[in-house]
Amino acid sequence: MTSLLSVQNLQVEFYGFKALNGVNLDIGDRELVTIIGPNGAGKSTLLDAIVSKSPVANGQINYQGKEITNLPPYQIARLGIGRKFQNPNVYDELTVFENLLLALKGSNGVFASIFSRLTKWKRQKITTVLEQIGLTESAGTKVAALSHGQKQWVEIGMILAQDPKLILLDEPTAGMTPEETHATGELIQLLSEVHAVVVIEHDMELVKQIAKRVIVLHQGQTLAEGSVQDIQNNEQVLEVYLGREQIDVTA
Amino acid sequence: MTQVLPGQQKRTFPSKFALMVGIGFVIFAIFPLFFGEFQTSLMAKLFLFGTLAIALDLVWGFTGILSFAQGVFFSLGGYAMAYYLKFNLAAGASDYGGGLPEFMVSNGLEQLPWFIAPLQSFPIAMVAMVLVPAGFAYLIGWFIFTSRVSGVYITIISLAIASALNTLFVSQQAYTNGTNGLSDIAPLTLFGAKIPLIGLYWMCLIFTTAVLMGAWWLTKSNLGLILRSIKENEARVSFLGYNIASYKIFIWTLSAGIAGIAGGLFVALNQFISPVYIAVPFGTQVVIWVAIGGRGSLIGPLAAAIILGQIQNYAEQITQDWQLIIGVLLLIVVLFIPNGLISLIPKQSNQVTSASKSASS
Repeated sequence: MTSLLSVQNLQVEFYGFKALNGVNLDIGDRELVTIIGPNGAGKSTLLDAIVSKSPVANGQINYQGKEITNLPPYQIARLGIGRKFQNPNVYDELTVFENLLLALKGSNGVFASIFSRLTKWKRQKITTVLEQIGLTESAGTKVAALSHGQKQWVEIGMILAQDPKLILLDEPTAGMTPEETHATGELIQLLSEVHAVVVIEHDMELVKQIAKRVIVLHQGQTLAEGSVQDIQNNEQVLEVYLGREQIDVTA
Repeated sequence: MTQVLPGQQKRTFPSKFALMVGIGFVIFAIFPLFFGEFQTSLMAKLFLFGTLAIALDLVWGFTGILSFAQGVFFSLGGYAMAYYLKFNLAAGASDYGGGLPEFMVSNGLEQLPWFIAPLQSFPIAMVAMVLVPAGFAYLIGWFIFTSRVSGVYITIISLAIASALNTLFVSQQAYTNGTNGLSDIAPLTLFGAKIPLIGLYWMCLIFTTAVLMGAWWLTKSNLGLILRSIKENEARVSFLGYNIASYKIFIWTLSAGIAGIAGGLFVALNQFISPVYIAVPFGTQVVIWVAIGGRGSLIGPLAAAIILGQIQNYAEQITQDWQLIIGVLLLIVVLFIPNGLISLIPKQSNQVTSASKSASS
């Protein structure tokens, strides 16, 4: 199998604590992978390691057959990996339009940026993205004035503008209403037709809605892998994760 | 297809800005006709201080790098010009022979040091005026910005650089004439004719206008957008594929180059430069101009440098403790108008959007 992204025996340490302890992961072209796991399982750390936000202590990350382990984050981004952070990581002081313009693919060099113009192509791309995230009306608004859910959409929009081959989404629906969550789920499914998508999600409703292949992380290791049904019927998973969630819900 | 998005600003602002600058330019161009030589000379000096403030605004106001080393780059450009003019004078005088300035002779130098000698040539001196400060800034910038030093540590490094260079220039008497600096220098000539004060004044005015317009144009481009993003959250920009270090190095070096030219013009005008302009207090003054004028507004820092300079001029005549007046003013601004005096002007005229300029294409 030729995979787009291949993670082998990944280890990430924080002051001696092994946040990731030998994770393996393969993501094919245009594949949709959902990662779940209890808090502290290392889900975000896994994405951090892929985009080089956290240094990799051991193991290898290959993207399109080339090793990208610990490359500078901007180089990884240029190769076509886009990341959405857990808390909306957008620019409050910029308008929605500017946030998207900033994320737009291309013209990343200093001198290119001075002379770059808002071409018709760029304008159309931003218009399309604004429609996709339903914020056309708010294009000129500073992001600071938007709701939490809308900020999530702005960041998803930034990913769309960036147009990466591989999209990493860290809890994209946190803070959204059930309706918004459902709409996001549909958008994610749409995205996965053209991009490879990795989603970290807590919301089991959304997982059921979108998931094809689910990976369960626990204590820095892969605990289980399979379809939603496989996972739901997995004894170990129920014990460490789903079971507790259910108890939480009923409590 | 002229499809206008709500996010794009109307195009009235750019022309408005150009109009404002145009009117300002005309008013200041005829200013010397109504005021005496003293005011003309003072205003020209304040223009240069203003460009220094604009240059810092690019680095601090837009990119978020607070530096006290702006005076260092200003002085490096100034010294390049001062050496050139000094040699011009020394070459004419036969007393000391060999075109060696008197302070070098009295400090026991028999030959022009190799690193100062090229400044005898006008083109080399002019190039050095820009490239020495810009090159020095590039070098520092490369070390600071690629090593992930950030925030307050950069500011501390800038203080250290200013202090160290001040000490160096004071201690190397034979080469720099120490605390006395370079004075008693030839006036700047063009095609053999001495440039009169009004000529220098206009040169300073044109330079300042060019810097203001250039900086404005730059900050309206995508670069400006990226710089503001770096200021707000630099880690995030790198995940969008931008190499932050190269942007910081660029703006830092550009700022130093502008400061260098301002320093060179300052020496041509003032006929004097000393390590005072390298040291931290002068660098702090530049920071104060930007803080009082309004970070990220370009025109604010320029106006603040001019206004504060004039206040200082009159305050000096009234009391020796003029710094107290400036200090109180700074306190008021920092406490009550954190975004600077420019924020008192109704919003529309100082709004910063990058989309507006690009909308024209």
